[in-house]
Amino acid sequence: MADSLPKPGGGLLDGYEPGRGFDEAFESDGSARSVYRRIVERFGELDADEARRLERLVADEFRRQGITFTVYSEEEGTERIWPIDLFPRLISALEWDELERGLTQRVAALNCFLADLYSGEGAAIADGIVPRWLVVSSGGFERNAMGIAVPHGAHCNIAGIDVVRDDAGRYRVLEDNLRNPSGISYVIENRAAMAKACSWLFYDHAVQPVEQYGRMLRSALESMAPGGQESPHVVVLTPGIFNAAYFEHAFLARSMGVELVEGRDLVVDDGAVYARTIEGLIAVDVIYRRIDDAFLDPVAFRPDSTLGVPGLLGALRAGTVSVCNALGNGVADDKAVYPYVPDLIRYYLGDEPIIDNVFTYVMWDPDQRAEALGRLDELVVKPVGESGGYGVLIGPHASDEELEAARRAIDADPRNWIVQEVVQLSSLPSFTQERLEPRHVDLRPFVLTGERTEVFPGGLTRVAMRRGSLIVNSSQGGGSKDTWVLTPEYS
Amino acid sequence: MILARHADALFWVGRYLERTEATVRCLDYAANSIIHLRSDEARVEIEQLVKTLGLESVAAPLGSVAGRRQLFAFLLSDTANPGSVLSAVSAVRERLRSTRERIPIELWEEANGLYLRFREFGDTELPPDRLHETLLMVRRACLAISGVLNEGMRRDEGYEFIVLGRMIERSVFTVGLLTASYSDPRGTVDATRILRLTSSLQAYHRRYGHAPDPEGVVRYLLAGTDLPRSLQSCLLRAEGSLAGISALDRSRRRAGLLRARLELGEIEEAMAQEPLPVLSELHWDLAELASEIAAGVVPPLGFPTASSRYLRPGGTQPLAGGRPVRLDP
Repeated sequence: MADSLPKPGGGLLDGYEPGRGFDEAFESDGSARSVYRRIVERFGELDADEARRLERLVADEFRRQGITFTVYSEEEGTERIWPIDLFPRLISALEWDELERGLTQRVAALNCFLADLYSGEGAAIADGIVPRWLVVSSGGFERNAMGIAVPHGAHCNIAGIDVVRDDAGRYRVLEDNLRNPSGISYVIENRAAMAKACSWLFYDHAVQPVEQYGRMLRSALESMAPGGQESPHVVVLTPGIFNAAYFEHAFLARSMGVELVEGRDLVVDDGAVYARTIEGLIAVDVIYRRIDDAFLDPVAFRPDSTLGVPGLLGALRAGTVSVCNALGNGVADDKAVYPYVPDLIRYYLGDEPIIDNVFTYVMWDPDQRAEALGRLDELVVKPVGESGGYGVLIGPHASDEELEAARRAIDADPRNWIVQEVVQLSSLPSFTQERLEPRHVDLRPFVLTGERTEVFPGGLTRVAMRRGSLIVNSSQGGGSKDTWVLTPEYS
Repeated sequence: MILARHADALFWVGRYLERTEATVRCLDYAANSIIHLRSDEARVEIEQLVKTLGLESVAAPLGSVAGRRQLFAFLLSDTANPGSVLSAVSAVRERLRSTRERIPIELWEEANGLYLRFREFGDTELPPDRLHETLLMVRRACLAISGVLNEGMRRDEGYEFIVLGRMIERSVFTVGLLTASYSDPRGTVDATRILRLTSSLQAYHRRYGHAPDPEGVVRYLLAGTDLPRSLQSCLLRAEGSLAGISALDRSRRRAGLLRARLELGEIEEAMAQEPLPVLSELHWDLAELASEIAAGVVPPLGFPTASSRYLRPGGTQPLAGGRPVRLDP
């Protein structure tokens, strides 16, 4: 049951009109949804000056700690302070339970698919669930990964699954990120900053904590040690301080209490990986790498890579080290494979998907292509090889020339494109420096898999900063929100 | 266990931190003393300060650092001067950033905060009326960093490398200051100036209770056991740090021998005869010690060879016969 919308005089929510699509905080009649009732009341008591002051407090905290990200599209790559909106996203325990089950199910199926593929068995291909040509033509398919043993069949140790809510408020998966999903450090730092600047907001709620991520991750990574040895030596492999996500790499190493190494700190000898320390070389068992496949080993992949470790592939083949996430995961998060994931869930697990995909047209099917090209101005066009929102064309916002160019590109190379129905992402009140207005959001929960699978409570809520915009990527000017998963008694 | 790259970075964090403090002390001294000097006297004083900091070779190609404003800019915010406060603060920040996962969060925050406050000035020259305020800000930040290091950092190899870097840099500064003082073109060794530039004036007064004389000051700075900046104290602390790092055993012996010579009065005796050659030899010994530490820390390049050391139970052994045995880090 929804309560009536509080109308405090001069409050930030005065005149708030729920956005298009599903408004997470308000019913269509303007009353607050029950889970948001107390947060709405609190924000109704704030004025713009106070909200700006709080925002500055949070920004100062981030600046002091150097919590930044790099925007490469700008000249020379600019360091920006991580943007966070004060109004949090709340997820009730009941809602979370469904999400948790759905995400666990999806990642389990994706792991089955990768284990099936790279073990050489290829049952899903043989049974016609996914076309062979599609798999082997994927940029993320890695022949060198064939036959490499992966403990527990856990190829996706850290998965970031992007979900959105449609007009009816149903969660849908928009994208799987199974290679190097980033953003978890911002989830934890968002919470720390909010708890410092707006502790009063938390008083009326019991929110699941987030600081346990380091322990969870370390335990998942340790369980990946070859031979199941106890107390394995785990390291995080970073490209270095100039990488956009370096802050996160250091954050993860620190919260796990392990070393953050660069390629030059590691060496392979006689089929094993060692870290160069002042005492000599020390064997390494598990590498949580934040470097793409192509740069991991200049001997096996790109010879111009200075970031990787020569001979690492040989060590992987020898089974002396585990690399997490596993090699070749890109094939499973290829946007061209995405439309087949619900069938993979049915095939491997025998269950119906708990969270659906967004309806997707595959361009290599002539009938689907014809249908999609006929109404491209109502759909979203995505190149399968890009991430971070780059190259996405939103039909309803595109010019005739842009649509025509997209049609030509699709006709020229259908394998390279998918077309989806527009999902009018849900929205949440967000601070515009004057008042709260609806802005669209998505959610990237993180799923950890080692010996078992765990979903980290909450995730990264990204928010589009411009009214009506559906682009939430931080690289394209999006912001973030603290995400609260409520404990059952408070939901 | 510490990565060789981290050990190297933290050693230099220690050195640059100490360099920051020393440069700020020099600037503070210059700001107070130069106002009482004629311009030709001020010029000599400035040259002496640049020499004390070992920056003659950097200052010369940059043209004149003759005026006080140029001196302040050169020592404070000139990014072309690797010894300026801004360069040193940037170097500390960069190295802490690359070792961020193993240092206390507060250490990074303080160093990053100091750097950001400095950058607020942008590329414009610091207005003279903000000099004291800026020096105070840097001094306080350095104290806060020292506080976090002493009270908040685990006593692991990373900590010892920072201490080691500080002690080496401090020793080098003290010897550099004494060398510059004994070769001062003004012909006298200004004992009070030496004590001020090492923040030791108050300690000296408490210890000796009389006006400082050059011999007494040199003795105190070299071998004063109650003075944390004396060469002997620095070497003792360096030895302590080296004791926990088995790969640097040789450096520990070198530091120990040097300290013993100070403790036994050998160096003091020789100083009474011919100070400059003795100081030059001390400088050489410290440089040797620093490069020996650097060589012991730098990781072997390329693939390991038969002489590479692998960690095995019971110590390091050359790689010969059988596979190395793993040892939990």
